[in-house]
Amino acid sequence: MNSTTAVDTRRRRSRAASSWVDRNIRWILVAPAVFVVLALTVFPLIFSLWTSFVQFDFSLGEEHPWVGLDNFRFNWEDPVWRRSLYITGALAAGATIIELGLGLILALAMLRPFRGRRVLMVLFVIPLFVSPVIVGMFFDLFLRRPQGPANQIISWLVPGQTAIDFTFDSPWTYVSILVADAWQWTPFMFVILLAGLASIPDEMYEAADLDGAKPRQAFFFVTLPLLLPIILVAVTFRFIDAAKLFDIIYTLTRGGPGTDTYTTTYYLYQQGFQLFHLGQGTAGSWMFMLMLTFIAFWLVRRLLRPVAA
Amino acid sequence: MSTQAARGHTPDSAKIILGWRLRVGWLRFLVIGIWLVFLLVPLYWVAVASIKPQGDLLASPPVWWPDDPTDLHYAEALNKFNGWKGLKNSLIIAIVTTIFAVVIGTAAAYSMARFRTGGRHLAFWFLSGRMLPPIAIIIPVFLLYSRYSEEWLGYALIDTRTGLVLLYTVFALPFTVWMMYTYFRQMPVSLEEAALVDGCTRIQALRMIAWPLAAPGVVSAAAFAFIFSWTEFLFAVVLARDHAVTLPVALAGMATSFQGNLYGEASALTMVSLIPALVLGILLQRHLVRGLTLGAVQG
Repeated sequence: MNSTTAVDTRRRRSRAASSWVDRNIRWILVAPAVFVVLALTVFPLIFSLWTSFVQFDFSLGEEHPWVGLDNFRFNWEDPVWRRSLYITGALAAGATIIELGLGLILALAMLRPFRGRRVLMVLFVIPLFVSPVIVGMFFDLFLRRPQGPANQIISWLVPGQTAIDFTFDSPWTYVSILVADAWQWTPFMFVILLAGLASIPDEMYEAADLDGAKPRQAFFFVTLPLLLPIILVAVTFRFIDAAKLFDIIYTLTRGGPGTDTYTTTYYLYQQGFQLFHLGQGTAGSWMFMLMLTFIAFWLVRRLLRPVAA
Repeated sequence: MSTQAARGHTPDSAKIILGWRLRVGWLRFLVIGIWLVFLLVPLYWVAVASIKPQGDLLASPPVWWPDDPTDLHYAEALNKFNGWKGLKNSLIIAIVTTIFAVVIGTAAAYSMARFRTGGRHLAFWFLSGRMLPPIAIIIPVFLLYSRYSEEWLGYALIDTRTGLVLLYTVFALPFTVWMMYTYFRQMPVSLEEAALVDGCTRIQALRMIAWPLAAPGVVSAAAFAFIFSWTEFLFAVVLARDHAVTLPVALAGMATSFQGNLYGEASALTMVSLIPALVLGILLQRHLVRGLTLGAVQG
């Protein structure tokens, strides 16, 4: 008798527990994700807001004197910081436009099936899975004079000797960065635009053809308008990622010559982890984050709104 | 159809899209060919550098194929300068991160998709992590890991695999949450409801019905989480200098110091690190677009 009651109680209790789990299942499932994101992004951000307003220096030990806006002012008065913002914007915009153009051409070329297309698709997306530092290293090995073959290849294509220091000479360093970035991220544009192109029904072109549209007109009045929403999604994602450029710089130009190719992330990395100006570093990273958030919101509102509608 | 045939040309959309009348597809194959060369030449260069003897590495003019290839660099790379340690750490960190991010992310996505937990706000809150610049997180996380984690948690997280796994999980979550969120929303609810009617608990319905049905989505979400932690550099270079050093950090160290004396080793290690890229490139084909745009574009 006793034992059955005990089993009954246990069963009832476990049923009660499982019904409690059932009732609150939605919160139980979502809690771990919310917790880790709170702990490792929201909390550090709040913490860094505090360090932006104090002098945070390892040599001072546990003392953190309040300095108000000095850290922000320090960054703002640093010409390297302002230049880095400009460089970051220019490189991100340049990379996005170049990759959009190349990706679109490549997607158009790959749209129709042909023999070996599947193998090429696998090859074409490989760069997306390569670490950006390694991409920087690829191009460092490839472009660096004298042992890299880039100058040799150019001298085959263009008669005469060339001696371009792709990783040291000022205008060329930007070209090198853009080439390396395009190598890695053109496939991003390519696969997204290919999916977009494939989703345009053939009937659209048949209709355009019946209406007597020339191929070029079909491209500008059928393909582009139908592709536009997807182009905007791709551009939004790519630009925001490109604005965080760091890894390729780290292995390709190392910010040089001098501080010429310092992107904002690279600048803040130097501030924080080479010079250990942690207060200035966090102040700068807050400003950078606000700017990027502003641009992201603007892009999402401006560009993604028509897609959702 | 008959009218078009009468007019003497079929509506071949490829021709029209290209914008030029391409009777033969030579232009598209020219484009594909040029891109293929651009894609493969840097890869070829690293592959060849990994088997060049030391003397050929810094030779000028450059050596396109060594007279006597060597496999020395592959052996050396793993023994010298954190090679083996980096490979091991990267594997462990990527696998554990993948498991965490997929389990936590799938659970949250399921809750959001089925019960509309948190509505659109919560979903976009997770998405905003994708937009966040990593540099804004890494400076305070570095401070917290190096100074305060021991004080507060009794465990110093700086230069540990645990520390990196935690951070990577958080940054892989936007991928896994959003990919699974869009996936669950497209899945019919009726099967789970039937299971609940048959006496399953919610957990059982999730484990035995929803999870297996979502398996293809889980695989691609996992692949994205793995690739993210396998290739991540900024967090690793700040947080893991020695004990928890990862493959990209070890590689960058080899490539940027030693005045090029370790180019061979760095190239060999790079070749090893590309293996997952190849495998996942093949595995991910179908879900690539959805993953890259976090479900905004259906591939």
